[in-house]
Amino acid sequence: MKTAPIAALFFLAGEAVACGYCVEDKIASTYDHAIVTRALARGHHVAFFHVDGAPVARRALEEATAGVPGIDKGSARISPDLLTLSFSFDPARASLLQLNTQLDRRLSARKASLTPLRIMEQPADLKTVKR
Amino acid sequence: MRTILLAAVAVPLLVACKPGLPPDAYDVSKMDFKPKAAKVTAERNNGAFAEGAALSTGAELKKLDPSPVKTVRLDTTHKVIEIAPGVKFSAWTFGDQVPGPTVRARVGDRIRFVMTNRSDEPAPVPQLVAAPMMHSMDFHAAMVSPQDKYRSIAPGQTIEFEFTANYPGIFMYHCGTPMILEHIASGMYGAVIVEPRGGYPTKADREYIVVQSEFYVKPSPGKQKVDGAPLYVLDGDRLRAAQPTHTVFNGVHNGMVKQPLAAKPGERVRMFVLNVGPSKTSSFHIVGTIFDRVWIEGNPDNQFRGMQTVLLGSSNAAIVEYLIPEEGSYIMVDHHFANASQGAIGLVSTEAKPPAKDLEHHNMQASATPTDPDAVAGKLAFESKCLACHSVGGGRKLGPDIAGATKRHDAAWLTRWLKEPEKMLQSDATAKAMLKEYNNVPMPNQSLSDAEIRQYLKYFQWIDSQPAGSVKPQAGGH
Repeated sequence: MKTAPIAALFFLAGEAVACGYCVEDKIASTYDHAIVTRALARGHHVAFFHVDGAPVARRALEEATAGVPGIDKGSARISPDLLTLSFSFDPARASLLQLNTQLDRRLSARKASLTPLRIMEQPADLKTVKR
Repeated sequence: MRTILLAAVAVPLLVACKPGLPPDAYDVSKMDFKPKAAKVTAERNNGAFAEGAALSTGAELKKLDPSPVKTVRLDTTHKVIEIAPGVKFSAWTFGDQVPGPTVRARVGDRIRFVMTNRSDEPAPVPQLVAAPMMHSMDFHAAMVSPQDKYRSIAPGQTIEFEFTANYPGIFMYHCGTPMILEHIASGMYGAVIVEPRGGYPTKADREYIVVQSEFYVKPSPGKQKVDGAPLYVLDGDRLRAAQPTHTVFNGVHNGMVKQPLAAKPGERVRMFVLNVGPSKTSSFHIVGTIFDRVWIEGNPDNQFRGMQTVLLGSSNAAIVEYLIPEEGSYIMVDHHFANASQGAIGLVSTEAKPPAKDLEHHNMQASATPTDPDAVAGKLAFESKCLACHSVGGGRKLGPDIAGATKRHDAAWLTRWLKEPEKMLQSDATAKAMLKEYNNVPMPNQSLSDAEIRQYLKYFQWIDSQPAGSVKPQAGGH
């Protein structure tokens, strides 16, 4: 008897994420053309991450990215609904992997971590991140 | 035992009959699901925003292109469009128009689709259009992996993919990038018509497409102007509350009243009707005729006869076929008249310019519209809340005619009257006299805010600034 309500809940949960499920949808939710244009013009890159683990408030994500060497100030964009974070950074100061590691460390107390989705190194080119 | 015997006889008989049965048009084993991965590149198209022999850009539909492969380009753009007189809206488009061009194909046809995200192209006045953003294409006519074909692409990117049209119908296409509601409400939608493999079972003299949609707009916070008129942008609050400011056919408030669709007496009209919403239902009706045939979702296998109205939820469609019985202007409306009052009206007319008297009869004339944002808001509120009891220039109803209200009363009196009618009825001599004159039917307190009252007054003042008899509300009945 318990199966039906549980199945219904599972179905509803699936429905809730049906729109915004794709990787590109997550990227679209934090894509800011002004940030992208400014970053690429300076030779910087733009990285897009999925936020894994426990729910993290927007403010906590903003705090986590603030002051990290290499991340461009004011470039963080967050979509709490689609659990996505993006920012631009200077690859000469820090690699994507280094930034990922540092941010994971800052978020570990909140039982959250980041999975890189795509990186933009040049206009109109969203590259898959190889780890 | 008897059952087994019967089955033993019946099964060979059924098998023997099989060659005589018509082929199943929906035999999935004969459908084409040939998957081919979508391709995303940084190659930017700088040519036309919409290309393909299978495309129609207006209400009148081109005949089916016989080619079994349809190459279709629909690029995304951001531009300002006029959705109603004086209402210039910052839209997002497919093919640089709203609705996007209609794709026409036949069951079994292969659609080769290509789209460049050109939302980053310089606009004549950049601050009037939305910032570049990611977009995507979701074809309801296709059976493909959304994660592959419907992925969002960044400004400057191009996506190409293919699909085969397996089912006949009228199918919506739209941008599927979050927030989808905002992308659709900003204008990113259109129709794909898929004819049955053997064509339609009737012969029509005219074919038109009518796409119903809603707009949710507000004056831009930055108070930008376009050619002297205020720029309007998406109103997120109204959008989420499903409270449109305009409900329209083919992207324009009362558009097909000003430019009626042509038909002659005795002709059979085939009309492809798609309600894209995004959030309202359409009760599509044509005054003066009856739908001889209705093919729900545009598929002749889903047939009704002799219908007055067809009910279409968001992303539902139908083909309606009807005869034009005699000379006249036949009025297309969403019979949810609140929607019709917001612009979902059009004409199919035997004359190039329909006579105004016909429209007067139905009280649906495309009338002058204010451009001041407060007056526009007041007009919309008035038409949705007050028309049951008040006319505009049509004489008294349950309450007085609104035309002339600002000449009969000053602004302070009208403000108090709209704010606290019940108190006025106890203390104000004019209010008491009105109550008596109108059979003791009191003016209800609508709990209007000061801003709303200001908007009503702006609208009333605008009405009284127009030539007598030239203003009519956009709602009506018959």
